[in-house]
Amino acid sequence: MNITTRTQGDVTIVAFAGSLDSNTSPQAQQALDGILAGGCRKMVIDFTALDYISSAGLRVLLGAAKRLKGAGGALRLFGLNETVREVFQISGFSTILAVFATEADALAGL
Amino acid sequence: MTNALHMTIGADPGEIARVSAAFAEFADAHALPASVRRSLQVALDELLKNTVAYGFKGRQVGSGEVTVEVERRADRVSVTITDDGKPFDPFATVAPDTTLSVEVRRIGGLGIHLVRQMMDEVGYERRGDRNVVVLTKYLGEEGA
Repeated sequence: MNITTRTQGDVTIVAFAGSLDSNTSPQAQQALDGILAGGCRKMVIDFTALDYISSAGLRVLLGAAKRLKGAGGALRLFGLNETVREVFQISGFSTILAVFATEADALAGL
Repeated sequence: MTNALHMTIGADPGEIARVSAAFAEFADAHALPASVRRSLQVALDELLKNTVAYGFKGRQVGSGEVTVEVERRADRVSVTITDDGKPFDPFATVAPDTTLSVEVRRIGGLGIHLVRQMMDEVGYERRGDRNVVVLTKYLGEEGA
């Protein structure tokens, strides 16, 4: 998978491309850990180029969400395809994580 | 072009990526709808991860054998995963509580819950000294 990051004001925008599964989640975990260790409090993850996510990927997202919440920050996601949305619905993640349709929606009021 | 994919991997987490890549090629070659391919990718990842992590506990890494067979029929895709690990029916587990808040949520059991919900049919059988898991995903109008 490919992970790219950029910042906009005090928000870090992370784009995942490829799949977030048992093979790639350690890499994603490491990337998010690095960003959080750098003091990031507001994170937006761009899923536009994410093909699919399995529970190993959900675990990484949950860890980041917990840490950001604990630090008084926020995690927002956007650009989920049909399958990723389905995984979020089945797992209940669509109710515990803030999911938006577009980047502009995700950044609004953050 | 054959309608089936058959591969045997060692019981090693690194091998799951090999299945994932081979399955993606198979899906391309058979023009599987993206939603069907992605659902099957998720199911394969969950089941193979479980098998490799728990089914072969206590054995040397890579000593077990896992076989993955994928067959595309007119109206469906069937996946059969066979392993020689200890007896384990993944679908006998209880579904996790998916209504808990972010602070108290755990991931345990979620993978199998995803498989159960995303596949049209799931089955398990202990055949001799092997676990056999069969998944079925119908193609629907999109792939027919």
